[in-house]
Amino acid sequence: MPTKKKTPQIETPVQVDWAPEIEVKEQRVDLRAKLEMIKAREGVIGYILRAQTSASVDINDPSKIIDYAVLSASVLESVESLLDAFTLGKICNIVVAGSKLKVLLLTVGEHTVSVFMEKNVNHESICKELT
Amino acid sequence: MNEEVYAVALKSALTEIKNICPDISKSFILMNNGTLITAEEQSIDPILKRAVSSLQDLTEAAASIGGLDDLLIDGENGKVYVSRVNDMYFATALPKKTDLTHLRTITGVILPTIIKVLDSISFEAAPPPTPLKPSPRFQPASLKSMPSMPPEPIAEEENVEETEEAVEEIEEPLTPDTQEIPEVKTEEEVEPEAPKQIINLPSQQLIVDRFGGFMVKSDIVQADSDVLQRWSSMLDVKEISEVDVETFSGKTARCKVKEISDQKLEGRGFIRIPEKLCDKLELKRGELVRVKPAILESE
Repeated sequence: MPTKKKTPQIETPVQVDWAPEIEVKEQRVDLRAKLEMIKAREGVIGYILRAQTSASVDINDPSKIIDYAVLSASVLESVESLLDAFTLGKICNIVVAGSKLKVLLLTVGEHTVSVFMEKNVNHESICKELT
Repeated sequence: MNEEVYAVALKSALTEIKNICPDISKSFILMNNGTLITAEEQSIDPILKRAVSSLQDLTEAAASIGGLDDLLIDGENGKVYVSRVNDMYFATALPKKTDLTHLRTITGVILPTIIKVLDSISFEAAPPPTPLKPSPRFQPASLKSMPSMPPEPIAEEENVEETEEAVEEIEEPLTPDTQEIPEVKTEEEVEPEAPKQIINLPSQQLIVDRFGGFMVKSDIVQADSDVLQRWSSMLDVKEISEVDVETFSGKTARCKVKEISDQKLEGRGFIRIPEKLCDKLELKRGELVRVKPAILESE
């Protein structure tokens, strides 16, 4: 099994009237919590979450992690050069479909998320949840 | 029917599709032999060549999900839609709000029909299907061909890689008996025993890939060259020669480090760890580890 880090329980911050307004800086934790919920859905195989210096991987079949990580990196490289060629600006989101599975890739803040799922899963709803 | 005629027919098809869907700003077809066909007359610019080359790489990497059937990229200023038609790829650039259903219907009918007709005409004369990457066989001068790709089959590449690894090892001869597996320490052991003070170090989480072989030294790991370069510039040292590998179960090992020798894994956020060391650290392929450069204060 890949290393799983337990998702910390997110407590809703309580705003008191005498303190300055609370700024939520828990983007990564929040994203991981969302991904854990998405991962629990039927048909979702797993995810890879990457930032500059950190990564989280949770894939049902650990023997596929390397292949999936290579695929994610290749997709990003390829897509960047395609967008350059067609002068379409920055990446918003990407969907790659194969005959067995599909992958949703998107950038949320400084994180790159790849969600692997079966082809019948609605990737649009996942995309909306993550952005 | 030769490839030139085939390409001309596909080029006409691209023009017709553009007439039906005026939203399409640019499009191309990547044929199964690596030939690129565009609707535009002007020569193909290097940026497009690079894009097509990386698309070819992607088709290989997509084997893990059953090959590349569809690719939809939502960009800031528009979309790119790439779809497989038989064993070719049709790519189009579209405005952001384009209805893809309409395009899918058109491309899903027109292109396969044209290809089917062309195939039926050329059935008897046609050579057997070729792999996606360009083969050294006939490429008409009038066609815009793809940048050349290494023609060796995968099996050969693997052999080359093995040979390279073997050569590397021969350069620094070491008998298997004298190999040292770095001492693995648990969390409890590390702190009191830490003999050398380490200065403010960056760390990076990387995905583990195991590798082995007769001549592989078990105390040398392989990491991305850009990570090593980033660390060396951050720490203002010539090069990073050693790293500390820390597992999430708290085990650590200090090992020598080299750049990743397998090009397929370079720049993908992996660390390649010899099997013996993986066993000691109780690491499996695909697990995450935290890696830090090991720099002494004196450096």
